[in-house]
Amino acid sequence: MAHFEIKDLTFSYPAAGEKKALDQVNITIEHGQYVTVCGQSGSGKTTLLKQLKSVLAPHGKKSGEILFEGTRLEEVNLRTQSSKIGYVMQNPDSQIVTDKVWHELAFGLESLGMDQKTMRLRVAEMASYFGIQDWFHRNVTELSGGQKQLLNLASIMAMQPSVLILDEPTSQLDPIAAADFLNTIRKINRELRTTIIITEHRLEDIFYASDKVIVMEEGRVIADEEPGKIGAFLKKENRRMFAAMPSPVQIFYGVNGTGNCPLTVREGGAWLSRYFAGKTPEYTTVEDKITIDPDDVQKPAVLMKEVWFRYEKNGKDVLKGTTIQVPENTLFAIVGGNGTGKSTSLKIICNICKPYRGHVYIHGQRVDKIKGDRLFKQNVALLPQDPLSLFVKKTVREDLEEMCDRNLSEEKVREIAKLCEIEEILEQHPYDLSGGEQQRAALAKILLTEPKILLLDEPTKGLDNFFKIQFGKIMKRLKQQGATIIMVSHDVEFCAKYADLVSMFFDGGIITTNTANRFFAQNSFYTTAANRMSRHVFENAVTNEDVIQLCQKNQ
Amino acid sequence: MTNKDSFTEYHPIINFMFFIGAIVCGMFYIHPYFVGVSVFCAAAYLITVRGTKAFSILAGMCGVFIVISIINPIFNTNGEHVLCQLFGRPYTLEALLYGMTLAGMMVSILLWFVSYQTVMTSDKFLYLFGGLSPAFSLVLTMILRLVPNYQKKIMQISEIRKSIGKSAGDGTLRQKTEHGITVLSVTTTWALEGGIVMADSMQSRGYGCGKRSRFSIYRMGNGDKLLLILMTLLLTITLVCGAKGMASITFAPTIQMHGSTMVRIGGLIVYMLFLMLPTMINIKENVTWHILRSKI
Amino acid sequence: MSEKSIDNTKKKNSVRKCIVWMLILILVPATLIVSWKYGNRRYYLTSVLVIVYSILAFVISFESRKPQAREIVTIAVMSALSVAARAAFAMVPFFKPSTAIIMITGIAMGPEAGFLTGAACALVSNFLFGQGPWTPWQMFAYGIAGVIMGALAKTGVVSEKKKLLTSVIGFVCVMLIVGPILDTCSLFTMSTEISKVSVTGIYMAGIPVNAVHSAATFLTLLLFCRPLAEKLERIKIKYGMMDGEQ
Repeated sequence: MAHFEIKDLTFSYPAAGEKKALDQVNITIEHGQYVTVCGQSGSGKTTLLKQLKSVLAPHGKKSGEILFEGTRLEEVNLRTQSSKIGYVMQNPDSQIVTDKVWHELAFGLESLGMDQKTMRLRVAEMASYFGIQDWFHRNVTELSGGQKQLLNLASIMAMQPSVLILDEPTSQLDPIAAADFLNTIRKINRELRTTIIITEHRLEDIFYASDKVIVMEEGRVIADEEPGKIGAFLKKENRRMFAAMPSPVQIFYGVNGTGNCPLTVREGGAWLSRYFAGKTPEYTTVEDKITIDPDDVQKPAVLMKEVWFRYEKNGKDVLKGTTIQVPENTLFAIVGGNGTGKSTSLKIICNICKPYRGHVYIHGQRVDKIKGDRLFKQNVALLPQDPLSLFVKKTVREDLEEMCDRNLSEEKVREIAKLCEIEEILEQHPYDLSGGEQQRAALAKILLTEPKILLLDEPTKGLDNFFKIQFGKIMKRLKQQGATIIMVSHDVEFCAKYADLVSMFFDGGIITTNTANRFFAQNSFYTTAANRMSRHVFENAVTNEDVIQLCQKNQ
Repeated sequence: MTNKDSFTEYHPIINFMFFIGAIVCGMFYIHPYFVGVSVFCAAAYLITVRGTKAFSILAGMCGVFIVISIINPIFNTNGEHVLCQLFGRPYTLEALLYGMTLAGMMVSILLWFVSYQTVMTSDKFLYLFGGLSPAFSLVLTMILRLVPNYQKKIMQISEIRKSIGKSAGDGTLRQKTEHGITVLSVTTTWALEGGIVMADSMQSRGYGCGKRSRFSIYRMGNGDKLLLILMTLLLTITLVCGAKGMASITFAPTIQMHGSTMVRIGGLIVYMLFLMLPTMINIKENVTWHILRSKI
Repeated sequence: MSEKSIDNTKKKNSVRKCIVWMLILILVPATLIVSWKYGNRRYYLTSVLVIVYSILAFVISFESRKPQAREIVTIAVMSALSVAARAAFAMVPFFKPSTAIIMITGIAMGPEAGFLTGAACALVSNFLFGQGPWTPWQMFAYGIAGVIMGALAKTGVVSEKKKLLTSVIGFVCVMLIVGPILDTCSLFTMSTEISKVSVTGIYMAGIPVNAVHSAATFLTLLLFCRPLAEKLERIKIKYGMMDGEQ
């Protein structure tokens, strides 16, 4: 008997009129399978997953049926659904209900009315399996994002579900925490035979492990295949989802490779070796996009000179004599681990945090000497990590108008809306937008201060690949208009593709700065998938396009 | 001395019973001897709980004590021994002593509350009273979880407003208030939106599908039971002596104690033993540790 | 749930509510008499007992209603906001928006939710900033603020549409009811001897504090009542909470 059987499921939201959020969906999921659901934002992934648990199913018109272990889902009682169908949501923070880790672990068990002895055992088991013992007694506020999401997972696993549904569980986590989390999911699938249904942007980490991949587009299932065949299908049909495939897949089809499609870096590397079997490639380098010597910058747009900073008087130093030179009109990316002080340095550049030693100069002028609001008018602007915090009004338009003089507003808003590609969503409530739309609307809002220097804190966090490409284009446009952009990011692929200079931040200071190609080519861990799979053949290919280009040149 | 408080490790019911006993008795036994004992024990325990930090609190309490003691005779002119005339009214010895007793009572209660605050954490409180109303105790748990989140969000939004040139740093009071309302408003939208996810997450984990049980991390061991019995015994004796008038005293027109001296002295000793329990436990554990360590 | 069983639970609830309030009606005078006769008229203890009864009454009737997840969350969110709200006004001295937020919750969600939000707000604030003899009194005072506004909203006297009137009533409510209740607490804790002098002294000393508190409540209600009501409305529509089955 199949675990889940979805038959002819069609669904539309009450406000959406005739537009169908799900259209004739037919899926069968067997016990113990690992199923990845992918698709662009708004393709109906989340809507589909929510239908699989009655209490989460949104309101609207629905036809077709869902069978859970052979029974219609509506007839499976709430109690069984609660314990058997586990659901992990996107935002690690909002899902946590109680104030203590131990209490959160037991929350589901309490709801099921279990006795104390059983709960103690289950909680102990979960805490040990997930390595939570060390923070068992902590307040949930003290946890990192990764720990929070792990806690959410553990508190659901305590109810011993037979199927685990995960809706973009790692989109708010940094890459290391995300990889850890996804490894744990794989472990659960392998060791406990729990069925996994997961949606993810970060396909690199889960694609190869899936038993099957379901691709959705505009509410329809367009592919339902094992991962090895998905790439071929998407390429053949020329679907947009192809751009979200893992690097090995994209490169393989980019040069029309033959044989089995590689899914991981390891397979990709092996395939590339076979590709060049018996001959040495003639061209092994791509040209640098930009020629700047990062150590000798004339007239830097931003200069941070020997800056020391800590949050509390007796606290640890976050920045330890950091020096950063950002050349005019470049996209300068800062990468590095969590809590190394990257975001703090952005706040120091715009004088929200004040260093206790050292100074910051913007176009040669000391920031702490710039009086009043002048620093934030036609000068510097910061796009915060959580774009939602920027919105204060009921529609995007009102929010944009807040930023400019009354008589000039309409013209300016139109111009910026066009630049950021948000003309369609001006009348919507900011909280009703998708992640990528929110990001662009937020960008539009800060661009209205007409900044010459733009500071971006994790701009691609939680965005899918299409939005990233769109965002990257906007960055290029802004650079053409003369802006200098400083970006803090975990997103290695994005930096490799769009940044001019990349800096490694570690232990309160910049370790090295180089052009994107040189930077990633010299790293062996902190680099792109394309580089890792091609480094034994090419010298400095860091993006998928680089590898494809070099392969074709060598033909 | 270390700040390790062993009394906290006992079962919440013991913690709570002790404080209720100490505070209620403290309010009832308004008699210089008993007030004195309560202040002494409260201070002693506070020192074992907070270490050197307790001294600044105690210093502040001295101030409270002096102010209330001196002020009382100004309002209260009862008493035979007139010390001086103040504002045309007699300032009497009895009123001063009464004031000192009252002040001592207040100080002792405030001190007990300071220790209460460190010992009776919110999870202990909710463990004890959650049974009365699981729904309301869940509400309290959720508030405790949300408040730090919201405070952080408010800070973050204020910073962001500043970074787009919309701070009210040196504006008028009106601008500052409006700025505050804007920040609050954004936080509210965000909070309500998060609340929906939270409710989903609760339902998804079975909230509302039947009677809830309660998980707790506390266990009643033998040591707890022993202490509970001892504490009940001491408290009962104190209350019985109290009913027999051990702490009854009149301040005006002259100071007079009532009831038998035997009951008073016996009651006083038992009262002191009761109030010293947590302090003695802490001292004992400390000593045991030292002995254990010196044996290694 | 079938219609009949809904009817049944409703009936059960109202019976339970009746019992709870009857108990209160017996317990309160009983406590007063006992304390008058034997307790040497300990004002503080007696009053706290009475307050605890009334808080319990609200809590028990809330419990017996078997509140849904969304109701619980909304009360928790609003209480947490009223605890945390002070941080948004760090630059404005003495500005306390909490009471106003509790009042708005009462207006939007009814007197019972108003009371619980107020009581929970006070209790949790004290968990965070220090418990004291004042805790039950604060729970009661803030709870009452929520109840009054909730009841007035039910009868249609105040609403988020009548901004000015609502704000004025909020002002009066704090000045004449909430503030004095808190002052009574200090009266009972500061002195066992209740005399004319101590009574007038304490209530007079309370006036400036209450005036500032009232003004903050007035301003917050004036500026925040409508936006908050709109936000609650938006959430209801967006997540289909209007469909009645929640």
